[in-house]
Amino acid sequence: MFLLGTFYLFASFLVMTCISVIFSKNPVNSVLFLVLAFLNSTFLFILIGAEFVGIILAIVYIGAVAILFLFVVMMLDIQITSLMVNMKRYVPLALLFAGVILAEIIYLTVFKTTKSNIDVIVRSENNTEQIGNVLYTDYFIDFQLSGIVLLLAMIGAIVLTHVYRPTIKRQNIDKQNTTFSKDRVKLINTKAGEGIQSHD
Amino acid sequence: MIGCFGLFLNRKNMILILMCIEIILLAANINFVSASVFLNDINGQVFSIFILTIAAAEAAIGLAILVIYFRNKGEIDVTQINQLKD
Repeated sequence: MFLLGTFYLFASFLVMTCISVIFSKNPVNSVLFLVLAFLNSTFLFILIGAEFVGIILAIVYIGAVAILFLFVVMMLDIQITSLMVNMKRYVPLALLFAGVILAEIIYLTVFKTTKSNIDVIVRSENNTEQIGNVLYTDYFIDFQLSGIVLLLAMIGAIVLTHVYRPTIKRQNIDKQNTTFSKDRVKLINTKAGEGIQSHD
Repeated sequence: MIGCFGLFLNRKNMILILMCIEIILLAANINFVSASVFLNDINGQVFSIFILTIAAAEAAIGLAILVIYFRNKGEIDVTQINQLKD
């Protein structure tokens, strides 16, 4: 009973924060509500018994993605008022799509749901061990591929946002390798009391 | 029941679209994990981790595109983003 109450608390809170993400006027507030939504879903995951995915969700989403959003929102300096202009034009279409999806969900949950009669097997190993056993054996190729996807995303983001400035002096490795020391360095034998005479 | 908020995509402006995509992927994750727990099948949670990876990559790329778009145009308004082909 306590678990059920906690579940409904977190689930309703999650839905409310998601609505707040969409309808808050300031984008910074919106990102913070997004963080709250992720936190709520983390609690839900832990409640349901999937601790590993919950903690990973907290680390990846709250620690990385939401902070990235926050940086970009603060960097872009969006005018708050201009975002709300001509939003009314899209409300009927949005309501139509939302209604279709809601109808599908209601149809599926009310009419198509059958009570699952699979017995819950209590496993000796914990959640992280189960995931690790499957992830590093059956899904090994997919695991590596997702790593490559992350690498591509990183390279792509750097290439997209990189600005080439011709005024900045850079290290030219080819030029460095093709020069000799006698072109650059001159040995001058100085006598006492005469100083160095410039020959150029 | 939880998947209900997948329908909140429906905004046609700005950075909120990216956040809505994040919310939709989160809803998909919740569905996967709950189904995996109720069916007692760990594959759903593994797949949820993959979804998490793709969501992070997508957020990075989307925000990078947003940053260069803002740098070129000085504003972010999706209604004029069809000029991107010029």
